[in-house]
Amino acid sequence: MFTLIFLKELRDIIQSSRFTISFAACSVLIILGFLMGAQNYLGSLRQYEAAIEENRNQIAAETNWAQVDNSIMLPPRPLQALVNGISNDIGRTIPISGRGELRPQNTRFNDEPLFAIFRFMDLEFIFGIVLSLFAIIFAYDSVNGEKQNGTLKLCFSNAVSRAAFIGGKLAGSFVGLSIALLIPILIGCALLPVLGITLTQSEWIRLGLIILSGLTYFGIFLAIAMGISASTARPSTSFLLCLVVWIFSVLIIPRASVLVSGRLIEVPNVDEIASQKNQYRLQLFDEDREKMASFEGSEETEPQDLMREFSSFMGELAEERTKKVELFSQRLNEDYLNKQTEQTKLALRVSKISPSTVFTLASTELAGTSLHLQNVYLESANSYQEQYGKFIAEKTGQNSGSGFRMIVVSSGDGEEEPETLDPEEMPQFEFAGLTTEQVLERSVIDIGLLVLFNIIFFGGAFYAFLRYDLR
Amino acid sequence: MSTVTQIPRLEAVALTKVYEDGVKALDSLDLTVQQGEIFAMLGGNGAGKTTTINVFLDFIQPTSGKALINGIDANERPLEAKKHIAFVSENVQLYPNFSAMQNVDFFVRLGGRSEYSRSDYETALHRVGLQSSAFDKKLKDFSKGMRQKTGIAIAILKDAPAILLDEPTSGLDPKAGKEFTKLIGELRDEGKAILMSTHDIFRAKEISDHIGILNNGVLVAQKTQKELEGVNLESLYVEYMAGYMDEVNTGQRLENHLSDELI
Repeated sequence: MFTLIFLKELRDIIQSSRFTISFAACSVLIILGFLMGAQNYLGSLRQYEAAIEENRNQIAAETNWAQVDNSIMLPPRPLQALVNGISNDIGRTIPISGRGELRPQNTRFNDEPLFAIFRFMDLEFIFGIVLSLFAIIFAYDSVNGEKQNGTLKLCFSNAVSRAAFIGGKLAGSFVGLSIALLIPILIGCALLPVLGITLTQSEWIRLGLIILSGLTYFGIFLAIAMGISASTARPSTSFLLCLVVWIFSVLIIPRASVLVSGRLIEVPNVDEIASQKNQYRLQLFDEDREKMASFEGSEETEPQDLMREFSSFMGELAEERTKKVELFSQRLNEDYLNKQTEQTKLALRVSKISPSTVFTLASTELAGTSLHLQNVYLESANSYQEQYGKFIAEKTGQNSGSGFRMIVVSSGDGEEEPETLDPEEMPQFEFAGLTTEQVLERSVIDIGLLVLFNIIFFGGAFYAFLRYDLR
Repeated sequence: MSTVTQIPRLEAVALTKVYEDGVKALDSLDLTVQQGEIFAMLGGNGAGKTTTINVFLDFIQPTSGKALINGIDANERPLEAKKHIAFVSENVQLYPNFSAMQNVDFFVRLGGRSEYSRSDYETALHRVGLQSSAFDKKLKDFSKGMRQKTGIAIAILKDAPAILLDEPTSGLDPKAGKEFTKLIGELRDEGKAILMSTHDIFRAKEISDHIGILNNGVLVAQKTQKELEGVNLESLYVEYMAGYMDEVNTGQRLENHLSDELI
C-alpha cells in the first residue's frame, strides 16, 4: 500500500504543472549557482595567484630582509565558492611583520561591494531560501487539498492505513522533488571539471554531504508543510501558516537569537579595545623615548659598531615593549574572546531551534566557510608569523615587527651592488584548513539535528494526520 | 430442511452518533441491506444520510451501536471491513493530473485488486458509458458526469460485495442520471448490496428494494418496494421536505401517513 501511494504521489507530482515550473526554476537557479560559484572561484584564484606573485616580486626587488613587507593571503577553495559562509566577509590578506597582532584586511566585498548588499547566489542560499519555499509550495495542500478535492475520502474508502498514506505521500513528495533538485545539481557537479575546477576526493565527499544536508533540510519543510496541511481544513489557511513558519525559521529566529544573546551577554566594543591597546602602546613608547635619548654607547667605538650597539639597544627596548603590549593585548583579547565566544555559543544555541540555522551551520562547516574559518586562518597566520619572525631574525639579526627598522647602508666607491633577495628562501605560507575528519566531526551534530528535525516534524505530521477528519 | 442465514452485506444496529456540540446526527438507526438489494435513504439536509455512510466508512466513530459490513464491525476492524465495500461520492473527484485510466488503475489497486489488465479497465469504462477517446485524457478536462462514470467504473472493478453511494445522481443531467440508475440496477442484479443516500425520490422509487426516510437521525419510515406500490411517495416526500412533518410528532405522523396511503 505504501509503495502504491508513494508511486501515485511521485507520478502526481511529476505530472503537475507545479513540478514543471519548480523544476525549471530549480534548474536555472542551481546551474546558475554552480556557474557563478565556478566563476567566482576562478576569479578569486587568479586574484590570489596575482597577489602572491606580486608579493614575491616585491620581495625579489629588495636587497635587505629588514625592508621586506610580507603579506599572506587566504587561498580560495572551490567549496568556498559553492557555499560562501563567511569567506567573503573576512579579510583575506594579512600583513606579516614577524610579531604583533595580526590584522586581516581586504574582504571580498572590498572588490565587489555590490555583492555586500545582494550577496552571492550559492548553494546555501538556494537550498536555505528558495528550495525551502518550494517545499512549502508543494506540500501546503498535500492533505487538506486532497480533502477539498474529495480524493482523500475516496482513498480511505479502501483498506488504507493512515500511516501508509501519510508515509507514502511524504516519501513520494520527497523523492519527486528531489528529482527536480538532483538533476540540476548533478549537471552542476559535472560542469565543475569542464569549467576547470578540480575537486579533491575529500571535497567531493564534503560536497556530497552538503547536498545530502540540503535534501534533509528540504525534507524538514516538506514535513512541516504536510503537518500544517494535516492540521488545517483549508489550503489557504495552511499556506499562510506555512509562510509564517518559514519566515520565522529563515528570517526571524537567526536574527533574533543574535539580538537576544547580545542583550544577555555584553561584549566590549572592538574599537574600544583597539583604542586601549593604542593608548598603552603610546604610553610605553613615551617611556622608551626617554631611555633612547639617554643612550650612551661604549667609549671609543667605531661608528658602525656604535650603530650596531644602538640597534641592539633599540631591539631590546622594542622587544620588552612588545612583550608588554602583547601581554596587555592578550589580556584584553582573552576577555573579549571569552565574552564573544559565550555570546556566539548562546546565539547559536538559541538559533538552532530553526532548521534554517542548522542547515546553514552544517553546510558552511562542511564547506569550510563556517565561523571557524577566521580562527583557523588566524591560527595558521600566527604560526606562520612565528616562523617568519625567526627567519627574519636569522637574516637580519634583529627582531622584526618592532616598529623600527635599523638599516645599515654603506656606500662607498668600489663596493659591489648588493644582491637582491630570493623569495624562495623565505618560509612559504600554506593554509591547510581543516581536515575532512575535523570537518565531519564539527558538522556531525548539525547533520544529526537535521535528521532529528525530520523525525520530529514527520512525527508531528503523522500525529496530526492520525487525528485528521477525513470527511 | 435447514435454513441458511445469510449475513447481511450492510447492517446498522442501533447506530447512534452524538456530536461534541450535542447534536444527535443518528438516533438508534437500524437497517439491513442484503445481497442483491438496493436500500435508498431519503431525507433532507442534516437528516443523517451522509453520517450513516461516514460511519460505515469509519470516517466517524459512532457514539453507540454498530455498523457492520459483511458482519465485520466497520469501526473496530475498519481495514478488514473496507475490503468488502466500494464507495461512490456525490461529486466524484479524482486526481486531476491523472488520466481516467491512471485514476482507475490507482484506485483499483488501492482497493486491493491488482490482477486487472488495461483491457479490463477499458471494458469497465465502456460499461459505464465513457467514450474510448476519454480514457487517456486528464481528469481535469472531465465533466461531472464523466467523473461520476469513472468513479462507478472504479467501484465495479473493485468488485466489492457492498456499494455505498452518497447522492450519486446529484447534479447529473437526466440522461446521465438514467444511465446511472440502469447501471445500479445491473449491479444489484449481479448480487451487490447497495446503500444509497439520495434526494432523488423518483429514481429511488424506481430502483430501490427498500426506502428509508430519515429525519434528524431517526429512521422514521422503512418500506419495501412492494409496500410502496400505489403510494404517492413523491407528495409525501415533498410534504416531508417542506417541513410539514417537523411540526408534529414526525415519526408517528409519517407512519400514520404511510399506513393511510397503503390502506
